[in-house]
Amino acid sequence: MSDTLAPATVAAARAKTSPGKWIVRAIVLAVLIYAPFVLTSRSIFGIPLSNMQLLNLGLTQINLMLIAMLGALSLNFLTGSAGLISIGHAAFYATGAMTAAIFGTQLGWPFPLVLVCAAIAGALAGILAGLPSLRVRGLYFVLSTLAVHYVVVFLFQEYQFAFFGVVGVPFAQPSIGPIAIDSPIRWYFFLLPLVALVYFGLRNVLATREGRALMAMRDHELAATAMGADVRILRLKAFALSSAIAAVAGALYAHLLTNATSEVFGINFAIQFIAMIIIGGLGSLSGSLLGAAVWLLLPTIITGLTSFAADSTGIVRTVLVDHRPQLVQMIFGLIVIVLLIFAPGGMADLIAKLRAALFGRRHG
Amino acid sequence: MSHDTILSVENLSVGYARKGLALDDVSLTVPRGGIVALLGANGAGKTTLIRAISGLLDHHHGRIESGQVRFDGRVVNALPPHKRIRLGMAQSPEGRLIFKNLTVEDNLLVGAAILPSAKRQDGLDAVYALFPRLKERRGQSAGWMSGGEQQMLALGRALIGRPQLLLVDELSLGLAPLLVRSIYEELKKVRELFGSSMLIVEQNAKLALGFAEQAYVLDRGRIALSGFAADVAASTAIRDSYLGTERVGNEGAHA
Amino acid sequence: MFAQVLFSGLALGSIYGLVALGFAVVFKATDVFNFAQGMFAVCGAYFAVTAISALDLPFGLAILFMIAACATLGVLAHIFLIQPLAGRSMLAIIMVTIALSIVLRAGIEIFYGPQGRVLTTPLPSGVIRIGDLRISQLHLIAALTSWACMAIFGAFFRFTSVGLLMRATADGHEAALVSGVNVNAMNRLAWAIGAVLAGIGGLFLGQLQIVSPELEAIGLLALPAVVIGGMQSIPGAIIGGLLVGLIAQFAGSYISPKSTDIVIYGLLLLILMVRPWGLLGQRELGRV
Repeated sequence: MSDTLAPATVAAARAKTSPGKWIVRAIVLAVLIYAPFVLTSRSIFGIPLSNMQLLNLGLTQINLMLIAMLGALSLNFLTGSAGLISIGHAAFYATGAMTAAIFGTQLGWPFPLVLVCAAIAGALAGILAGLPSLRVRGLYFVLSTLAVHYVVVFLFQEYQFAFFGVVGVPFAQPSIGPIAIDSPIRWYFFLLPLVALVYFGLRNVLATREGRALMAMRDHELAATAMGADVRILRLKAFALSSAIAAVAGALYAHLLTNATSEVFGINFAIQFIAMIIIGGLGSLSGSLLGAAVWLLLPTIITGLTSFAADSTGIVRTVLVDHRPQLVQMIFGLIVIVLLIFAPGGMADLIAKLRAALFGRRHG
Repeated sequence: MSHDTILSVENLSVGYARKGLALDDVSLTVPRGGIVALLGANGAGKTTLIRAISGLLDHHHGRIESGQVRFDGRVVNALPPHKRIRLGMAQSPEGRLIFKNLTVEDNLLVGAAILPSAKRQDGLDAVYALFPRLKERRGQSAGWMSGGEQQMLALGRALIGRPQLLLVDELSLGLAPLLVRSIYEELKKVRELFGSSMLIVEQNAKLALGFAEQAYVLDRGRIALSGFAADVAASTAIRDSYLGTERVGNEGAHA
Repeated sequence: MFAQVLFSGLALGSIYGLVALGFAVVFKATDVFNFAQGMFAVCGAYFAVTAISALDLPFGLAILFMIAACATLGVLAHIFLIQPLAGRSMLAIIMVTIALSIVLRAGIEIFYGPQGRVLTTPLPSGVIRIGDLRISQLHLIAALTSWACMAIFGAFFRFTSVGLLMRATADGHEAALVSGVNVNAMNRLAWAIGAVLAGIGGLFLGQLQIVSPELEAIGLLALPAVVIGGMQSIPGAIIGGLLVGLIAQFAGSYISPKSTDIVIYGLLLLILMVRPWGLLGQRELGRV
C-alpha cells in the first residue's frame, strides 16, 4: 500500500517536513498555476512550442482529467480504502448530472447550489445503493452495484426522454456569483482547487478514527468491530461520501460537456474508473490522480504520436491510423493486465519503489 | 541413501511468503515398510513438513528454501502433488478434506483415478473390505457423514491406489478415542495387506508412540528429538514439553 | 402474440442458458466471475465467420475450427491471466477479465473492422406456421442445439471419469490436490468448456442477428442469468438463462423495448436482497 493511506506514515512524513519539501511544493504549485497558460498560448516564457512538444494536449483535456480525478478519488476511497467494490460508479455520475438538470436546467437555481443538491442526491443514492451491503457480501455485492447501475441509467434515460428527447439534456453555462465559468482556463482554476480539496479532505477522513476503522474493515471485519465501530453504518457512510463526490463530478462533467445523454453513463464509463484506480494503485489516493491522468491523457498523446504515421500504408496504417480508438483501448487493456499481474500496487507503488531505489529511502 | 528407505527429508528449510522460516534444517527418514510418528505442539511445523513432502507448499504460498525431499530414491522437490501421488505417495490430510458434495463412492473413485480403469473396481472392493461402513454409505453425500466416517473416507481415498507411502495428518482430530484406536487397528492391517510405509502426524502422542516404530518431535521448526518410539516415549524432555499436556485429555485437546 | 413471445423467449433463453452454463462451469471450477464471457461469445461468432468466409471451410469443419479456437482462447486466458493472479483480491480477478474483454473487442475491431458481418451457414432459415404461431427454423435449431449441448455436458460431468475429477476439483481445490487430481489441467479444461459453450451461443446469436462486437451485451446477459439461477448450481444457470430469455422477450413486447435491462437487473437486485444464493443455489453461500 502507498504512504497516503497509512496514518502512521502520514504523521511521520509530516513530522519530517523539511524546508526542501516546501520548496518542492512551491514549485509544484507554480507549475500547476502556469501550466494552463502554456497550454492555451502554446508557448512557454514566450517561446512557441510545437504541438508534439505539448504532447498534443489541450486544456479541455486537462479539465476532463481533473473531473475524472474526482471520480477516481471517490472510487478508490470506497474500493481501495473501505474495501467495497463497486462497478456501478457511473450511476452516481448520472445521478449528479440528472440532479443538475432538474435544479439547474429546469428550475434555474444558481450553479453552486446545484452542486450542493447534486452532492446531497449523490449521498442519498449512495446510501440506497449501499443497502444491499447489509445483506450480501463480496461478489454478490459487486453484482448489486452493477444492477444499481442499470436501474439509474434507465431512470436517466426515462427522464431524458420525458423532458428533452433524443438529443440529450442541455446544461446552462455555470457561473459563481458574477463570474461566469466560460473558458477552459476558468474551468481549470475552478476544478483544480476542488480536486485538491477532495484529495486532502479524503486524506483527512482516512486519518480520523472512523477512517482507520474503515481501513481496518477492508482488511478484517472483526478488527473494525473490535475498534468499536458499527461496520454497517460505517459502510453506508463511506458509500454516501464516495457517491456524493462522484455525483458532484457528474454534475461538473455534464456542465463541461454542455449536453449529456444516458449513453454517456454506460457501463464502460463505470469500468474506466476501476481501470484508473488499478493503474494508479488500489488504496492510494495519489495513485487515483495518476491513474486518472494516464487514462485521460494517454489517448491524446497516442493520437499525437500516431500522426507521425499518417503517410504510412498497409498494416501499419490500418492499426495506427484507421483504428486509433481501438489501438488506445487495446493499449489500456494491456496496461491494466500487465499492472495487475506484475505490479499489483499500481503506478503509485512503482514510483515509491523507484524513489526508494534512487534515494535509498524506505517508502510506504 | 539405501533402498530400504522410502522417504528421506534432507536438511529441509521451508518459508512462507512474508513470514520467517517454518522449518529449519529438518531431516527425517521413513524406512520401507516402517511406521514413523511425527509429534509436536501446534505450530511446530508438522503440517508444513507434510505439505513439503506431498507438494502442497505452493498452494499455501510456501516454498523450500534449501534441502530436499527424496521419495523412493528420487528428489521430488519440483514435482506437483498429482505426480508425487502417481509415484506412490498418498495423503490423508488434516481436516480430512473430503469432497462434501460428492457421494462416498465418487470420493473414492477420484482417488482411484490414478489406477488403470480395469483396476478401479478392485481398489473399491479392497477399501470397502477395510471399512465396511463406507460400503453401506456409498451412495450418500460425503458431507452428511459423521466425523469418523469422513476420516475413514479420507483414508480410503488415499489407500485406494495402494500407495507405497501413506501420510496421515491429524487423524484423531475431533474423533472419539475408541474410534481412533479402531482406525489405527485398520491401518495396521493396511500395512500387512499393501506393505505401505506410513508417516503419522498425531496430536495424541501416547497413541502415536504406541503405534509407530520410530518418532520425531518437532519444536518450533526444528527436530528436537528423534529415535525409536519407545525411547522417545521414555525421554523426559518429551514428557515435560509434550506428553504432559496429554493428561488434559486424549482427544488432542491442545488447541 | 403470447405464444409467439413465449416461443422466441424460450429459444433465446436456451442460448442464454448455454452461455450461462459455460459461465457457471468456469465459476464453479475456478471461482472466477468471468466478465469476458460475453466477449467469448462474440469471439465464437467471429471464429465462425473466419472459418466460413475467409478460410472457405465446409460448415462442419468450420464448427470444429470454431470449437478448437474457443477452447484455445479459454485455456490461454486461464494460463496467462487467471493463474498468475491466484490468491489475489476479487477486484483484481474481476478486472483482469474486464481488461481481457476490452483487449478482445479492440482486437476484433482492428482485425475485422467495427461494422457487422453476416454469417452465412447452410442452416435452414425458413418459418414453420402452426396456426398463428410463426416458428423460425433457426430459432428452433438454436434451441435444440443448446439443449443437446447442455445434455452432452451434463452427461460428461455425470458419467465420465474426467467429469468426476472436474466435479471433485470444483468441490475443493486442496482436497483435489491431495487426492492426486491435476487441478491446473482441470481448471484449464473448465475454461475451455466455458469458452466453447459461449462460442456456440455466439454462433447462434450471430446467425439470428448480425455478427458484431455488440453481441457482447447479449452474451453478458449470462451474468444475471447465473445469479438468478444460483451461482453454484449448474441446472440453476440453465433455468436462469431461460428465465432471462423469457423476461427479455416479454418485457420487450409488453412493456417497452428499452425496459428489458431494467426488468432483468431489477429482478437481479430483488434476488440479491431476498435470496442471494439464487433460485436453485444452496443457502450457505455468499451470505453475510
